[in-house]
Amino acid sequence: MQNKHYKMDIIPGIVIALFSIGYLALIPSIQTFTGLGSTPLTNHFVPYLWGGSLLVLSLWIIARGFRRRKKYLAEGGSIKKTSLKDALLERREVVASFAALTLYVGLMDLVGFVIMTVLYVFAQILILTPRENWGKTYVPAAITAAVSGGLLFYVFRYLLNVLLPVGILKLFGL
Amino acid sequence: MILQGLLEVLQPMTIVLVAIGTAVGIIFGSIPGLTATMAIVMFLPVTYSMTASEGISMLMALYIGGISGGLISAILLNIPGTPSSVATCFDGKPLADKGEAGKALGTGVVFSFVGTIIGIGLLMILAPVLCDFALKFQAYEYCALAVFSLSMVIALTGHDMPKGLISAVLGALLATVGLAPIDSKPRFTFGLYQLNNGFALVVLLIGLFAIAEVMAYAETVRQKQDFTIRSNVKIKGVGFTFKEFVGQLRNAVVSALIGVGIGILPGIGGGVSCMISYTVSKNTSKRRELYGTGIMDGVVASETANNGTIGGAMIPLLSLGIPGDAATAMLLGGLQIHNVAPGPLIYEKNGVVVYAIFFAMVLSAIFMMLFMLLGMRFFVTVLKVPKNYLLPVVVVLCAIGAIGNANMIFDTYCMVGFGLMSYLLIKSKVPTVPMILGFILGPTFEQNLRRVSQLTSSDPFWNHPIFCVLIIATAFVVVFSVRANLKDAQRAQEAERQALKAGGADE
Repeated sequence: MQNKHYKMDIIPGIVIALFSIGYLALIPSIQTFTGLGSTPLTNHFVPYLWGGSLLVLSLWIIARGFRRRKKYLAEGGSIKKTSLKDALLERREVVASFAALTLYVGLMDLVGFVIMTVLYVFAQILILTPRENWGKTYVPAAITAAVSGGLLFYVFRYLLNVLLPVGILKLFGL
Repeated sequence: MILQGLLEVLQPMTIVLVAIGTAVGIIFGSIPGLTATMAIVMFLPVTYSMTASEGISMLMALYIGGISGGLISAILLNIPGTPSSVATCFDGKPLADKGEAGKALGTGVVFSFVGTIIGIGLLMILAPVLCDFALKFQAYEYCALAVFSLSMVIALTGHDMPKGLISAVLGALLATVGLAPIDSKPRFTFGLYQLNNGFALVVLLIGLFAIAEVMAYAETVRQKQDFTIRSNVKIKGVGFTFKEFVGQLRNAVVSALIGVGIGILPGIGGGVSCMISYTVSKNTSKRRELYGTGIMDGVVASETANNGTIGGAMIPLLSLGIPGDAATAMLLGGLQIHNVAPGPLIYEKNGVVVYAIFFAMVLSAIFMMLFMLLGMRFFVTVLKVPKNYLLPVVVVLCAIGAIGNANMIFDTYCMVGFGLMSYLLIKSKVPTVPMILGFILGPTFEQNLRRVSQLTSSDPFWNHPIFCVLIIATAFVVVFSVRANLKDAQRAQEAERQALKAGGADE
């Protein structure tokens, strides 16, 4: 059995268990309606049902993970420890993609759809391209970014009336 | 009246409008984040100046094109264009990965047409009878139907049942955010008005599929692999043989009937019908272990069912004036704008328009098949676009779809949040598909369970035979699915053991 197998039970199990505990803890703060026409089951019942079920299921996979870990060690397996920094470095393109996406949506309202889309598409293309190919990617990436930003903004904002944010381009009368 | 309706649709202007509507619908359906509902919303004002037959025919064409177009991105990019094509990804993408994108697209298109025609046929013949049946569905029946549909989750969980169930419960739990059903008290909104309506299904889908696809690709950037898919661009005919078509007819008819049946019931919709018919098809197939590896059967089940849902959804809309989902609610608005009052008297008061709608639906289905089959060679070329250029543009389109859903930037934040959640769940081997079923069915279950809690003292459950039948069926599905899953898990463990032994022998 691989080292990863039990880790994929224990770590997600703990995270989901903590999440479900947090969710269950929030339920009592929900206002209930007790007036005429109220239902015997209040709006707390189903959240308790789902939250409780999630907690039970997460405890189930945590227990399964520890069983698997015990079996793995009994079979002579060794536990490799990977630091969070190493794990993030190993997946640096994923981290960079999430960072680019977060900046894109986070600044879209302020800076505007067109500028942020051009910057995001350009950055994301580079992130998804092996570094040794960056040299021949700059120009096509810049063209793709400029065309997609401008064209999509025009089509969706002016032809299909989707309220895409104009941002700082408002200053130029757009 | 029937002939008059046919003549209305055969006017050159109406034919052109239906063709345009179908093409625009396909484009909206194929872009992740843009849905048939949005297409109808955007084109509703365009129909103001048209005659009733022209305007409604165009809206119907947008609806049919929008539902059908979702299969393109589901098969080629593993990103469902609409919620209705979620299950198309399960076998469509693996089929495309095998180099048979043409076959996958052809199967999806032709069986979408078959599903639409079966749905329209049943709509024309059985509308009054089916409406009576649909009216029997009250709180008890809906509650049992939600439980029954949720039990299908077990079959979708794969060999790791607890993780599949975690995914479904997470979906149901996400659906509790927003105003509570019945008493409208805010839950888990943290004072944010943007959360009052809860999370949108389309935003969840974008996060689960589109963002996850980008991240999956990002992980492979440094691996020197050739990711170009060898697609059979030289597509012969529709991509599959007549023998294969005949072999799928039973699967198609059952799936279409499931689609129509679910379409009739308000609030359930194509997203659930495609997954339920996929599960039924898988569970009743002799080659169930091949589902998910890229076989026609899975694509047929999903696409026939979601298009069958169109005819089903039109039954309560036309006969009772009850819209089943957001798209049909928009169509109801379109009917009212053109002075067509849906209800039991619709055939007497607006018979010509009703028959014109039926023929417009058939015409849209024909255009849909024609456009998509002709466009197949073009669609397949999407696979040749380098993914590092294609995926960022897809993400931008998804962001536009998320904003357009309710004209809120906030939905793009949710999109990124769901994307991160999806990535972490996939890394933890938690399947994300059951989450969609939980998310759709959670509110239906809660609303009707609470109504049932009010009714139990005056109207006990044994007065509701449909409820009893559905609960018994749920018990059968649970037992059958758990047994099948345990067998799958044993098989997977055995395969792993064999692989380890073989590895040890090699060393």
